[in-house]
Amino acid sequence: MIVELQINNSVSPEARFVSWAPSPCRIRVTNPSGPTSPIVNVRITGRSVTGGGAVRFRRNATGPFTNSLTVPVPVSGASVPFFAAGRFGRPSVNNGDVTIEARSGGTLVGSVQVMVRVRKNANTLTPAERDRLVAAFAQLNNQGAGRFTDFRDMHTSVSSPQAHGAPGFLPWHRAYLLDLERELQAIDPSVSLPYWRFDRPAPNIFTPEFFGVSDLLGTVQFSAANPLQFWRTDGVQGINRRPFFNTGTAPPGLRTEAQTLALGNQYPAFRTLEGNPHGSAHTSFGGSISSIHTAARDPLFFLLHCNVDRLWAKWQRQFGRFNPAQVASYDSGPGNPIGHNLPDTMWPWNGITGGSRPPTAPGGAMAASPCAGAPGPQPQVRDSLDYQGSVSAVSRMGFDYDDVPFA
Amino acid sequence: MTKKRKRTKSSKSARKGASAVTRSARGALSVATNARKTVKQRVAAMAEAPTAVYADDASLQAMLGVLRNRDEPVKVRLAALQALQASSFSVVAFESCRGDYIAALRAVAQDPDPELRQRALGLLAREKDGFAQKKLLEGLRDPSKALVPPEKALQLLSYDVHAEAYPLARAIVSKPPNATAKREALRLLGADAASAPLFEKILRDKDEPPEIRQISAAALQALKPQKLQALAREIVLDTSEQDDIQATSLTALTQFGGDKMGADDEALLKRVDRLSGTASTKVKQSARRFLTKYGR
Amino acid sequence: MPSGLSEPQFAALVDALAARPDEREQLTDLLREDHPLYDQRGAATTVRMRGWILLALARVGVSDTALLFVLDELDAGADPYLVAAAARALRSYPSPTAAFAPFVMRAIANIRYRDEPVCLDSYGEYAVASTGTSPVRELFVTLAWLGPHARGALREIEALREQRGRLSSKLLGDLDLALEAVRGAERVDALDTETCCKLPGGLRSMFSWTLGSRRSSEPIEATVFEDHDGAPITFKEFFRGHPSIVVFFYTRCDNPLKCSLTITKLARIHTLLEARGLYDRIQTAAITYDPAFDLPERLRGYGQARGVRLDACHRMLRATEGIAALGRHFRLGVNFIESLVNRHRIEVYILDAEGRIAGSFERIHWDEQQVVDRAVEVLVEKNEEKSEVAPHPPSVRSTVPPMFGTLASLGVAFFPKCPVCWAAYLSVFGIAGLEQIPYAPWLQPVLVAVMLISLTTVWLRARSTGRTGGLYLVGAGALAILASKTAPGWENAAVWGVALTLAGSLLSAVDAENGRPIFLRLRRITTRA
Repeated sequence: MIVELQINNSVSPEARFVSWAPSPCRIRVTNPSGPTSPIVNVRITGRSVTGGGAVRFRRNATGPFTNSLTVPVPVSGASVPFFAAGRFGRPSVNNGDVTIEARSGGTLVGSVQVMVRVRKNANTLTPAERDRLVAAFAQLNNQGAGRFTDFRDMHTSVSSPQAHGAPGFLPWHRAYLLDLERELQAIDPSVSLPYWRFDRPAPNIFTPEFFGVSDLLGTVQFSAANPLQFWRTDGVQGINRRPFFNTGTAPPGLRTEAQTLALGNQYPAFRTLEGNPHGSAHTSFGGSISSIHTAARDPLFFLLHCNVDRLWAKWQRQFGRFNPAQVASYDSGPGNPIGHNLPDTMWPWNGITGGSRPPTAPGGAMAASPCAGAPGPQPQVRDSLDYQGSVSAVSRMGFDYDDVPFA
Repeated sequence: MTKKRKRTKSSKSARKGASAVTRSARGALSVATNARKTVKQRVAAMAEAPTAVYADDASLQAMLGVLRNRDEPVKVRLAALQALQASSFSVVAFESCRGDYIAALRAVAQDPDPELRQRALGLLAREKDGFAQKKLLEGLRDPSKALVPPEKALQLLSYDVHAEAYPLARAIVSKPPNATAKREALRLLGADAASAPLFEKILRDKDEPPEIRQISAAALQALKPQKLQALAREIVLDTSEQDDIQATSLTALTQFGGDKMGADDEALLKRVDRLSGTASTKVKQSARRFLTKYGR
Repeated sequence: MPSGLSEPQFAALVDALAARPDEREQLTDLLREDHPLYDQRGAATTVRMRGWILLALARVGVSDTALLFVLDELDAGADPYLVAAAARALRSYPSPTAAFAPFVMRAIANIRYRDEPVCLDSYGEYAVASTGTSPVRELFVTLAWLGPHARGALREIEALREQRGRLSSKLLGDLDLALEAVRGAERVDALDTETCCKLPGGLRSMFSWTLGSRRSSEPIEATVFEDHDGAPITFKEFFRGHPSIVVFFYTRCDNPLKCSLTITKLARIHTLLEARGLYDRIQTAAITYDPAFDLPERLRGYGQARGVRLDACHRMLRATEGIAALGRHFRLGVNFIESLVNRHRIEVYILDAEGRIAGSFERIHWDEQQVVDRAVEVLVEKNEEKSEVAPHPPSVRSTVPPMFGTLASLGVAFFPKCPVCWAAYLSVFGIAGLEQIPYAPWLQPVLVAVMLISLTTVWLRARSTGRTGGLYLVGAGALAILASKTAPGWENAAVWGVALTLAGSLLSAVDAENGRPIFLRLRRITTRA
């Protein structure tokens, strides 16, 4: 007997990525030879390489997870659903370092290699993870001719009202990061966007092999083996970034994670993180990242914002703020500008231009993912909240943070 | 409690929370602008003040007053600048402040303190401010009027390809006041298609420092990609070449070479294979990535 | 005009021209982007120069020809100094009109988050204090100048006022003054008839057909392009055989209201062409001003990022040879510092199937639908040539027949057709002595011939515009006149015939594009040529 395992309800290798939030899976018999009964019990387990990811399972959309799951599967070929998720605290390091196996009796009848892919602390990536990330970034940039230009063009002073100074700041940037991450994953699916935890020292980020070392002038230097040496934006090569702090330490004056989470359990208070630590992190440097119009020229920008998003995710988990219908989850006050109300679609993915929106909408619709259907090509502000599918499973967006669990 | 009442209660509580944060920011602003506090206290308070800057005109003027005041300690002024900068990220909320902010930056761009000058000019240059560009270009033409060193001026001018800096950059390449200025001049010229021959010449010149040659390689990849790919191949095959340049060339071939490029080039593959085992770390690294891409 | 002037010399020149009434029109000429004075100037220098010209115009008064540049700056300008200068210059136009209000509001939307203090008093100075003026302030003052003429934008202005904490207290004061002026006590009904579309001087549509014979494309047929895939193609190879829509742009343009928007609109043109089944019959091309830098991969990326479809009939192009001739042929509104663009205008061209320029849109607010409609007209003329229907030369067909048709129709309408009509005219013109002219039956064939000419020209006009109302009226009028002559008891129908013919003629002569008579369009074209 042979069974087929579908991860994220797909047989495609591009879909074989899970995070902490449960991914819908299916199992079905493709070759029924052997069993005599119409239903066969198949035991599903995960097998990890040393240091690799680990997975767990559950039968239904709710309920406890287990390390193994026995599923009655009809030999007729009808598929049976189940859910798989990464085991919190055990993310993958390489693609396919955990195998989901299906056994009937003791016999292996099907297997598929998956990756528990989550967003990690950039300071603790392995060299291989780091190298894959910079290679993907460099390819997306393609010495100024690649799709990265769209992401650069999405974050300018012209477009800024769509994303800053109002409640939509966090949802917009969440969508922005997700779009970029999916484009990176189209180049290398093993890549996820890491975060720069700016309230702690992160010396491994500011190295020639990774995001570069700034000289006294603020010109970032890369190793000769680092493809980011070809980075180019606005037609100009290189990155200007002058830290006002010793990069072996954390920038001073930033709110710590604990202080940020303590801003308040209601969204209007929490979103003041836009000033500090977000704005303060940006202005801990001179150079591109310190001005809104040029910030996205520096790829470090995306790691900075990934941390801001992680703080939001952590706050959401801490206070249960995933449901847009819950008042405390968002700031739906009167007078929110367009693009900042829950039902509003977000520029540029909505393609709306002119009037109170910018004149053009670079980049088109939100990138799709083989691992998750949400948020769809034209996300609304509300779609950004339930990123794990805690309220509604279909809202799951397919990313997680290494230190923010699911439920 | 009815749903509507719950929602109203939550909403009020949310507003209360936000107001508390705003009050805290205002309190911080009050400390930050108080000359009777210590420098340390004021600098720490500045970090909490960004959201208070655009609360009202008085708050903005208080912060700008600190920035402009040459009698204030430089550390406090720098912290004020950083707070204003952080606040400016909220473009919509900062709208009422921007005009005064830009005016203050232009004034501070001519400040006696070099760090304040440099930061203000940097902020303005990133806005493609004509005032800043004019001052930077004047300084390059006449060093007695320079507000920042030439390498810094070139770096800041590179934020706008339309700044008329190319002739000055070329002059500095041929007669550099220092190595860093030459490097920045070349980086700036990396946006100038007419400079492709210069970059080719530099890349071929083994007497040029590796950093300069690397910049030239990156520039050539953008301006004349086919030329760089051919030259990169030559460099990799050249057994007398510097490690850094070999590593850069291999990286260029791996990142930007066509999918089939390396696969059919036996001489290149053989050479890279050797490098993957025997060369320096960075060359080995680049060589292995090349071989991974081309299936060896 | 010497091009190697220093900036102070340039400023002095502008001041001198402004001081001499007979030389003021030269100021407008200096605003052309391709003027040699801007050659090898950086973008910031160009801004200072142009701003100073606008400020000079603000002192001496903006003419209709200069108005175009002022409105262009308000419509798509991104530089605070230029927008401020343009706002001030607009106030020197002889009279405000409601048509200006959308431009002012658009400029406010464009520049509000880039507001900064500007110095408009002396050349090349930058404000380091926040006292003084700014583009938003100048725009508010211009709104106040417009007064009740801006009433169409009142709701927008009030919405601006209602946004709490967004405008500084200084600007709020100016905005309140503007609001007061806009709400003003003047009678509204006279102003209600003004629409936002009635710009003075024929500026409603920036489209113009090419008058006279179209310039042959032979001088540039050998221009070699490389397309977004790196494939070489000459001008002749690509542009001959199909009408084309051509836009100019470059990837390093930092004004999102110009090149980025132009290419985004090109993508919408593709959609419109597809919807009309014309995607394979009308080509498009986006040609870069910056061929040295905009290599094929950049062209492709730029276009695709904006939704442009790329294939054999729709290409992004860079000229690898013959660039200078291309610029001369199109009379491109662009200038350079070395190879980099320092300033350019928005420009879209319609080429006929011979690759000749048939029409162009410049500067303000070109509409994708309009561009497609014009391209379709050129396609139709191409098809007429193919079907051996002798076409009128486009220039004649487009502009002269309506005029001629109007005159002929008016002639038919008013020419006395019978002794009774003669008597009627005699009673009207008795004092003038026309009673001396006898009724002459030989005039009747002349009348018939004039009537037929009138019908034919009105019919042609209806074909080219798609609007048949005038034709039906003139036809009915002709029938009525004929009936009055031939059918007993229908004698009074002649009066109706005259009325219908006159009404039909006038209706046909009105350019339904913009609701203005065709003769006004002729005046603008003549001015441009």
